[in-house]
Amino acid sequence: MTAVGGFVDISELVFAAKAGSTFGYALIWVFAFATVGIIVFSEMSGRVAAVAKQPVFNLMRHRLGLKLGLLVLAASMISNLITCAAEIGGVALILNYLTGAPYMLMAVAMAALFIVSIWVLPFEWIERTYGLLGLFMIVFAVAIIAIHPPWDKIAGGLVPQIPPGLSTKELLTFAYFTVAIISAVMFPYEVYFYSSGGIEEGWSAKDLLTNRMTSIVGMGLGSLLAVSILANSAQLFGPANVDPEIPGSAALQAAIPFGKWGLILALLGMFFAVAGAAVETCLANAYSIAQFFGWAWGRHKKPWEAPRFTMTWIILFVAALGIVLTGVDVMTLVEFAVLFSILVLPLTYLPLLLLAGDKNYMREHANGRLAKSLGWFYFAVITIAALAALPLYFLTSGGNG
Amino acid sequence: MSPDGAIKLVSELLDLPLIDSDGKFCGIVDDVELAGSPGKALTIKAILAGPGAYAGRMPRWALGLVRLVAGNRITRVPWAKVRSIGSAVQLDCPANALGLDKSENRAGRWIPRKGAL
Repeated sequence: MTAVGGFVDISELVFAAKAGSTFGYALIWVFAFATVGIIVFSEMSGRVAAVAKQPVFNLMRHRLGLKLGLLVLAASMISNLITCAAEIGGVALILNYLTGAPYMLMAVAMAALFIVSIWVLPFEWIERTYGLLGLFMIVFAVAIIAIHPPWDKIAGGLVPQIPPGLSTKELLTFAYFTVAIISAVMFPYEVYFYSSGGIEEGWSAKDLLTNRMTSIVGMGLGSLLAVSILANSAQLFGPANVDPEIPGSAALQAAIPFGKWGLILALLGMFFAVAGAAVETCLANAYSIAQFFGWAWGRHKKPWEAPRFTMTWIILFVAALGIVLTGVDVMTLVEFAVLFSILVLPLTYLPLLLLAGDKNYMREHANGRLAKSLGWFYFAVITIAALAALPLYFLTSGGNG
Repeated sequence: MSPDGAIKLVSELLDLPLIDSDGKFCGIVDDVELAGSPGKALTIKAILAGPGAYAGRMPRWALGLVRLVAGNRITRVPWAKVRSIGSAVQLDCPANALGLDKSENRAGRWIPRKGAL
């Protein structure tokens, strides 16, 4: 259940709401498609953790060598740092809506709160606090039922399609949204965080079923929340020509059927889900660095038992806050996070694919025919998406036409 | 895999994590020290761990950057201290007996030992 609450982050919130208002239900299939992708890679990373008993970045360096490994580390570090900054900015913006307090002050307060909470709370509490409270976002799924949407059109959105009659400009924007959604759903930090968590919890081969179920159910239900936001947006914002340009717009979807309490629940759900994503991105980054250099790491340890790891996540939070404090707009950060993530996605998922298929490490648990086929298929898709991302970003001015 | 038999240095040893007898991550196999002479078998004398062992393995600019951040330390782990090799190199003594904990301890001086539940 914590995986469900932890699945939705600021980028998915923004792109789900914008996709629904701009293209109706036509992009639902992209969420479904990308969700299968993140399930495939999450399951692989959990399996590597359970069988090889080593986190992905440890083995990745051995598999790719120091030079290429360092390149992957640098790429994922930059991507995670920008994503973390976007999450801190997002959570500060939500607090700004909830309390009216200044955005910058809220960003500083939240970064401080994250550092204190990671320092003080045991790993399970961190997961439960942010993951479970993020489940307030279920209000979006209830809201879509309450507004009686055209279910046939929502079901039709699951079929891969390009809406007919689009101009060239609109087609390019549709392609940009497709790439951005794939990126937002398949953020690499989710996989690194998940596999490191598996190591921390001492997974073994007997936990493979739990790993598979957590990947499928957690990511699948989390994706349903994102699709609910898209569908609400298609039903409520699209016909009114409302462009949900800021993250808070999505919360209005719950206010329409449920009034003030719907709005509050939606904002609280968004707050905890995005806060959880901020913690995950920062810890995933610190995990990667510590694992790459062979340092002691882990949130099951006290902060002073893994001092270099502790210093790393604190510095990364401060660096992400520093990006927010430059005054760069949250939406720009979200766009950069999504853009940079898709650019580095092939680099970060290739080693995982190689590791999970390596019988030396994985023995009888190496990728079977299905995992291998799906893995290479999604790798091809994210490579094409990565190549198309920059041209589409510039041609569509970041999806703004 | 036992450390006594033949080993493929690059695919089976280099860049694997080191785990001490207490189960702690304590470094990476950054390089190895070999012994031997023409006509004789080549044997591994020691594992070298630490950023100082990166020389020759990465571009000069990257090496400079790593040394600026992580220093130039090398710790020598005698091959006799290796218990087994798999997805990690398992050592048969604690990290502090080999000096593999020095950087961690140095960083630890900056971290207050209180406040965590």
